[in-house]
Amino acid sequence: MFKSCGGKEVYFFLNIQAKDAVKLNPQHNQALAELANYRLLVESIQDYAIFILDKGGHVRTWNKGAEKNKGYLANEIIGKHFSIFYLEDDVISRKPERELELAQKLGRVEDEGWRVRKDGSQFWASVVITALYNTSGTLVGYGKITRDLTERKSHEDELRKANYLLREQQKDLEELNLSKDEFISLASHQLRTPATVIKQYIGMLLEGFKGRVSGEQTEILQKAYDSNERQILIVNDLLRVAQVDAGKVIIHKVPMDIKSLLTDMVEGQRSAFGKRGQTVITKFDEPISDINLDPVHFRMALENILDNAIKYTPNHGKIMLSVSAAPKSSRVKISIEDTGVGLKQKDIPKLFTKFARISNSLSSKVGGSGLGLYWADKIIKLHGGTIEVDSKLNKGTNFNIWVPVS
Amino acid sequence: MRKILVVEDEDLLREAYLDVLSTEPYQIDTAADGKQALNKCRETKYDLILLDLMMPVVNGVEFLEYYIQEGLSPKRVLILSNLSSGKELNKAMELGAYKNLLKANISPKQLLSTVRYELEAA
Repeated sequence: MFKSCGGKEVYFFLNIQAKDAVKLNPQHNQALAELANYRLLVESIQDYAIFILDKGGHVRTWNKGAEKNKGYLANEIIGKHFSIFYLEDDVISRKPERELELAQKLGRVEDEGWRVRKDGSQFWASVVITALYNTSGTLVGYGKITRDLTERKSHEDELRKANYLLREQQKDLEELNLSKDEFISLASHQLRTPATVIKQYIGMLLEGFKGRVSGEQTEILQKAYDSNERQILIVNDLLRVAQVDAGKVIIHKVPMDIKSLLTDMVEGQRSAFGKRGQTVITKFDEPISDINLDPVHFRMALENILDNAIKYTPNHGKIMLSVSAAPKSSRVKISIEDTGVGLKQKDIPKLFTKFARISNSLSSKVGGSGLGLYWADKIIKLHGGTIEVDSKLNKGTNFNIWVPVS
Repeated sequence: MRKILVVEDEDLLREAYLDVLSTEPYQIDTAADGKQALNKCRETKYDLILLDLMMPVVNGVEFLEYYIQEGLSPKRVLILSNLSSGKELNKAMELGAYKNLLKANISPKQLLSTVRYELEAA
């Protein structure tokens, strides 16, 4: 009954008190009683300002909610133009009139915005204006329902502000991270120069460019040279990690024969494990088709893992290298299995963290930057692969590197 | 006599390279930046140029650009820098420098054998 198409009737009946019902024709009694209930409902609602405007926008009815919401009593506001509820700027820009025009055109209009109370204070209002028509289709006025959403609005504003601050902080952190990466990169380049100079001069003596050097002198020079080499390795690792962390490593995949890549790699490391009297056994039984890999980065990642195996395997120990792929499998498994000191289960997850140094019987003797496996893991992931580690303390560690074929 | 130009801004390294390469009967000239290197190249035709990249005045990449503009071939230019990657190195390789070695990875003996090999291949 309280709907826009019966606007005139509603307007009329809302002005009838429930007690009037009995005086009228008994056949209307029930309808009138219902209407009186509607009136009671509308009048009693405190959370919503519900009122009717005439065609010109003047207030015609006023409920408790409107009183509470806007601060005017019914006798103060009825007959006044509803633009009184709007901010001055909105009045100048004819917002109230435009809203009515729009409601007439579209049937209804919704809006959220600042409105003004009697005392001049402002509140954030959610407004619905509905055009009201009588049965013959003539516009008779507008129904206006307003809710004070200031509290929700202030929560939203706070949230928005917090969100903005978070985003700013995030940006600052990203910038800081970037400048950290750049700093590491620059510092590492700078550190390479003096290390290179040391390498050349000690190298000249050690490699006999300046005549014969005694055994004892050679020993001392070799220590200095080796220490410098370690420094160069650390700087190289730092640079590599800074690059991968900054997302600057680009993987260029080409079809590769994995077996020859692994064979070459083992040959390249021969002096390292040969010096320790270790044996690297390769087991490439199955035929394996080419895999799409970045030959440079992938090989370096595997080298880091093999290097780790060499470091932690005792002298004269064995290291097994194998490749396998289940028929029609989309992945290939490369295993590097050492017979080294092994790891405690709880230490396995630490392996691929930056500067991870896991204490064991060899760790004090083994040098390194603690970045090699971290970098290798990142590179394997950039290939869409994963590394699984299986280890037994004092027995050895098995690195299974899974990579997709394509 | 084979002619080599060493372009390196770090005095101690330039001296070390000169010292090491002088053990062979080469004519070795040195330059401390790209500008000096260009002037040398205008006077002498080198069989091999060892080129650093990060240098003051005229850096390695700029040197290569001028060098090519003057109609000289980058085929004999070997990059010997401490850049293992990055824009500068990529640019130098795109310009046609034919090889790239990391200074920090080369011992005097390795430098000498690399130069010998490159000159024989030339």
